[in-house]
Amino acid sequence: IGPTKLTICLPFLVGYSTVAINHVIDFKEKKQEIVKPISPSELFPSLPIVQGKSKPIKIVTRLTLVVSDPSHCNVLRSTSTNIRLYDIIAVFPKTEKLFHVACTNLDVDLICINVTEKLPFYFRRPPVNMAIDRGIYFELLYTPAIKDSTMRRYTISNALSLMQICKGKNIIISSAAERPLELRGPYDVANLGLLFGLSESDAKAAISTNCRAVLLHGETRKTAFGVVYTKKTPRASEEEGVLPVRKKAKTEV
Amino acid sequence: MVRFKHRYLLCEIVSEDPRCRQCIDERAVGAAAKEAVARTHGDYGLACCSISFTVKYLNAYTGIVLLRCRKDFYRLLWSALPFITYLENRNQRYSCFFNTLHVGGTIRTCQKFLVQYNRKQLLLLLHNCTSEEERQSIQKSLLSCCLKEVEEEQSQSGDEEDDCAETD
Repeated sequence: IGPTKLTICLPFLVGYSTVAINHVIDFKEKKQEIVKPISPSELFPSLPIVQGKSKPIKIVTRLTLVVSDPSHCNVLRSTSTNIRLYDIIAVFPKTEKLFHVACTNLDVDLICINVTEKLPFYFRRPPVNMAIDRGIYFELLYTPAIKDSTMRRYTISNALSLMQICKGKNIIISSAAERPLELRGPYDVANLGLLFGLSESDAKAAISTNCRAVLLHGETRKTAFGVVYTKKTPRASEEEGVLPVRKKAKTEV
Repeated sequence: MVRFKHRYLLCEIVSEDPRCRQCIDERAVGAAAKEAVARTHGDYGLACCSISFTVKYLNAYTGIVLLRCRKDFYRLLWSALPFITYLENRNQRYSCFFNTLHVGGTIRTCQKFLVQYNRKQLLLLLHNCTSEEERQSIQKSLLSCCLKEVEEEQSQSGDEEDDCAETD
């Protein structure tokens, strides 16, 4: 728990205000159950304070599903309770059909783009545009680029091909840091966005406004299913639950 | 006006190892930055960035570094800084990373930012410190820098009043 604690504390010293803890589920192995997420109160008895502001930090939980088979997607449709406990759900498609399905049907917040190998499929414009309309964001990782030179080349080539199709919209850049030294400050990460082909305003948005939009998307997904989660003001949560349902009805009509 | 315009990058070196602070010196930092630029942008990048590249200011206790380069090529240098993973000095490697705080056109703007940043860091240290003596010493230094600011403002407004009185 020691190194993970430092890994989680360091982003706040460097200037970030929210951190998401990621659980990866790979379906190639048999019988993988979706585990309950670690609640942040188990890790910290008292939350440290954000640098620069006086609010305590926010830690959210996130689930990543590595899918290489259409049958794995059924997990998302099932009503197992553990999935609802996660704030953000991300999917990592391995084939073109799964990418298409993820963009159009699946109820996720993020689609991870593989940066560590040459992509087996090319991006096409229709599914990407549909994902942008639905409010799904594409995620690029930057930690493999820091570690290894060949991965750097794959990262940049995959990122550039994504940029050409989606014109820089709906992108977030995140780190898959396992150790505290693999993290980088927000200014530097925005600069990496420039290397990936984003414009300057898009790069800054990729680490600030787009990430906040993903969190909001995750929250609306939670409340729209009518799952009860306790909040300090119960009336506020009811209103929040009602609004997204109406929005969904309008788009369907 | 023919003048060479520069960009000054203010960075903080963050490391887990406390011995890393001792080995921070200008040559090591400059070499690490140039090597990162060479790895990321190749020979062209290295050549462009090393036209007017120097380490202007270095503080080993806080890990603050001020780098200078030409205005036309500062993006090449800035985008290579995240790829630095270690500093090497006297055949000892210390893993660390560079955190960019501020980019300025002159040393004075960077200095102003650094003063404000150090004040915020003092407040953070006050919040986190454990022993009573540390707490008192930090409080003293905070008070002294705040009082200094108030004194400067008072002397400035005092001068203005004198000038107005004379003109009247």
